Amino acid sequence: MFDPRIIGVGQSVYTRHPSDDQTIQNLMKDAVLGALEDANLKHKEIDGFAIASFSITPDSAIDLAWRFGLSLNWLLQDTNGGSSAMNMLGHASRAIKTGEANNILILAGDATGLSGYAKIANSYNSATRDHLAPLGHGGPNGVYSLVTSRQMKKYNLRKSDYANLLISQRNWASKNPYAVYKKKLTKEEYNTAPLVADPLCRYDCVPVVAGAYAIIISRNQNESLERQVRIRAFEQSFNYENQEGDGTATGISIFRDKLFETAKLMPEDIGVLSIYDDYPAIVLAQLNDLGIIKDEKFRDYLESMEEQSQSVNTWGGMLSAGQPGGMAGGLNGIGEVVLQLQNRAGERQLNNVNFGIATGYGMTLYRHGGTVAATILEAI
Amino acid sequence: MEKLFIQKCSNCNKFTFPRKYFCSACGSAEFDPVSVNEGKVREISVIRHMLGQKDWKPRKIANIETALGIYITAGIEDAVEVGDTLKIYSDNGAPIGKLTEEK
Repeated sequence: MFDPRIIGVGQSVYTRHPSDDQTIQNLMKDAVLGALEDANLKHKEIDGFAIASFSITPDSAIDLAWRFGLSLNWLLQDTNGGSSAMNMLGHASRAIKTGEANNILILAGDATGLSGYAKIANSYNSATRDHLAPLGHGGPNGVYSLVTSRQMKKYNLRKSDYANLLISQRNWASKNPYAVYKKKLTKEEYNTAPLVADPLCRYDCVPVVAGAYAIIISRNQNESLERQVRIRAFEQSFNYENQEGDGTATGISIFRDKLFETAKLMPEDIGVLSIYDDYPAIVLAQLNDLGIIKDEKFRDYLESMEEQSQSVNTWGGMLSAGQPGGMAGGLNGIGEVVLQLQNRAGERQLNNVNFGIATGYGMTLYRHGGTVAATILEAI
Repeated sequence: MEKLFIQKCSNCNKFTFPRKYFCSACGSAEFDPVSVNEGKVREISVIRHMLGQKDWKPRKIANIETALGIYITAGIEDAVEVGDTLKIYSDNGAPIGKLTEEK
């Protein structure tokens, strides 16, 4: 069995308003070229390929392989939304372990445009198409507005308590050259922002962007890097409670113990966290399920974010850097942990980080998401 | 407006919505339709903005705990508040909550 390493990351620009030549093909091309250069690999050395994208329709993974000129032993197309990146990482790492492939390119990206995204949101699945969209539910904003209200009620939170999470992520985004929103956010701006779907305001709703992200996982290490990154633990959960819960907990709650036991670590050992952030309430739900928020003291945790002492979503997260489809957003979170572990995160670099967590969350079935995954990565 | 029907497992009596192919509790593939007539409003959201639409008029949706114990998301009238008990209907499959009974 081989022990896989994540050896390269690359991304395109992220933009709210793509120009005519910022097509999904060109954005993906930029991400792939970046990842290949970072991994110190030639394109012909890629023998496995995984992709997740809403925008490549009617093409499939094999069409992209063909267009990229890749002849492969291993191919995957993932459709698990915000959990796709993690799902692809899990499948790819197992393929590397068993020797099915040597170097797997994992790619995600979208350039749907706002109207394209609205169409996707209204027919995301048959339950949404038949039972939610006819209500004018506002896509995921409407679904997670109700989840947020339940979280506020359950944990006695005020709307203004969420401000620090958004402000902290925006501060991190100001150090990410790819982020679409870098201007610092004040509490007043957050508290007086127009509501989109009560209680969610403009800053609580993830901004859709065009962009692509790629990582490369390999059986070999990248000799040009001082620190290598390996997967120490990996867990997933699909449809853990049949949408019968209130959405304030995620499937992480059922695999958290196994995740940390496998890693032989405690939540306190984790130095950097990329928590899938389509909505602030879902970030908090995952942090709580992971045991990062102690004793369900949500407000204490949020207050501590004011000093930016929590290393959560150090790339700005999707809420500030932008969401190029849920898939690439999830991949960006993994890539950020890799860069932090390798001391390559530029102005965002944290000190003495040896372990990081990345999560994925997605596929809003009816009342909340149905998929969630988490990995603990380590620097060696 | 029609009645809103949900499924009741023919084997273990568990209720579910939207439609399933197998019961998550016992695995049975047999269900009976049961109408949901009433529910209590637990949370409300006002959808003030719709992606891709310029002339959108705000509208309310709600999380409703039905009398059968399952939760549905429904469209509601502006006057509805949290805690109200509503009559439940279906508009081509989409749940609607009304303060007064439809004639």
